[in-house]
Amino acid sequence: MGSTRPTVIGVDNSPSMKKLLERSTKDLDIDLTVFTSAEEAWPYLQANTPNLIIVSILLPDKNGLSLLRDLRQLPAHRETQAIIVSSKDYAQDRMVAKDLGVLEFIPKPMSLQTITDVVVKYTHASLKSDSK
Amino acid sequence: MSNAQLRFWGVRGSYAAPFSSHLGVGGNTSCVEIRVDDHLLICDAGTGIIPLGNKLMQQDQIREIFVILTHYHWDHVCGLPFFVPAFMPDWKIDFFGPGDGPELIEEHISAQMQAPYFPVGTETWLAETNYLEPQSDGFQCGPMKISFSNVHHPGITFGYKIEVNGKTIVYASDNECKFIEKSIKRRTDEFTEEEHELIEEMVHEEHQSELNLFKDADILIHDAQYTPDDYEKKHGWGHSCYVDAIDTAIDANVKELYLFHHDPNYDDVAMEAIQKHSNEIIKEKGSSLVCHIAKEGMTIDL
Ligand SMILES: [Zn+2]
Ligand SMILES: [Zn+2]
Repeated sequence: MGSTRPTVIGVDNSPSMKKLLERSTKDLDIDLTVFTSAEEAWPYLQANTPNLIIVSILLPDKNGLSLLRDLRQLPAHRETQAIIVSSKDYAQDRMVAKDLGVLEFIPKPMSLQTITDVVVKYTHASLKSDSK
Repeated sequence: MSNAQLRFWGVRGSYAAPFSSHLGVGGNTSCVEIRVDDHLLICDAGTGIIPLGNKLMQQDQIREIFVILTHYHWDHVCGLPFFVPAFMPDWKIDFFGPGDGPELIEEHISAQMQAPYFPVGTETWLAETNYLEPQSDGFQCGPMKISFSNVHHPGITFGYKIEVNGKTIVYASDNECKFIEKSIKRRTDEFTEEEHELIEEMVHEEHQSELNLFKDADILIHDAQYTPDDYEKKHGWGHSCYVDAIDTAIDANVKELYLFHHDPNYDDVAMEAIQKHSNEIIKEKGSSLVCHIAKEGMTIDL
């Protein structure tokens, strides 16, 4: 019986971060979609519960932690696994993230392996069959 | 053209510094008044808002105030419990600051006026107070157009752009510029060549988005809390070194930079050295930027 492929959502307006997310997960059997703003991600998140969301704090329209707070109000997203990737790295933000149930707070810049590792850790994604 | 003025009522960061050695620059924490005819905008409500409030009580043309807050750290709100117009029935005060909606803004402002920290709460404010919903296209205060963006500081912190009389003023009291660039310098050995390429792009993007807020400002009021030596020890505290503030202002083609949010440990002599060094840096770079130390009581005609 084949299990369904994990879905991973990124919310980050930085093109380089989008590349980093794509390259770090290119060998993983996951569905990755990167939205560039909270507004763009919101309709998707209202309708879907991904296995993992990776959110940046400084988004063009909204603070990533505010997006998570809104998300936690939705019954489907009380437990959705979330990771923060941030160009800001301050204790106050880490504290708020922790209160919102964020699993990891990863300061930018990060290595490709750091992202690969957390995606595998939280989604149990396997390698794509052609890269095995 | 309207009659427009900007006045610094508080220029310190972190905490008030009412020491005799500091009074040339001033000891009150962040508060800047922008007055256009009878329209009054107040940027931040540190202890500087207290003497401003007292001054306002001596006139009777203005009864409406718009207070915009960069964030809720003490040095930016601690003057509000002593801001006399808020306790007067015929005044109207609109507040705006970071937070997901008016309730949170009100909550953040009220939280400091609670037992056992303060004897009365904001319910004793007799002025009509309104907490404003964020507007994506900004606010209007008389002829002033006000917009906001996120800046680099703990928690949600805004920088504000104010346009009036064809001039652009940017108020970014607390902002650690070039944060990611400096973080990378400290961690450069951790990354592979492929990663370095991506990271370089990341730094470039960050720098561009930082410049967007300041671009072509006629007046930039910017965090310049630390000397290079102190910044070395306090990287990641959410404040800028004045050298980085100057570099950023030059890159953003700013006309006049007011170094702001001075460290309370720096006395007038230390601040004079900062002014001197700043002028040297600008001269060395061949830039036309004019750099001032923001001082309490300083007034700029707009
Ligand atoms: Zn401050
Ligand atoms: Zn602050």
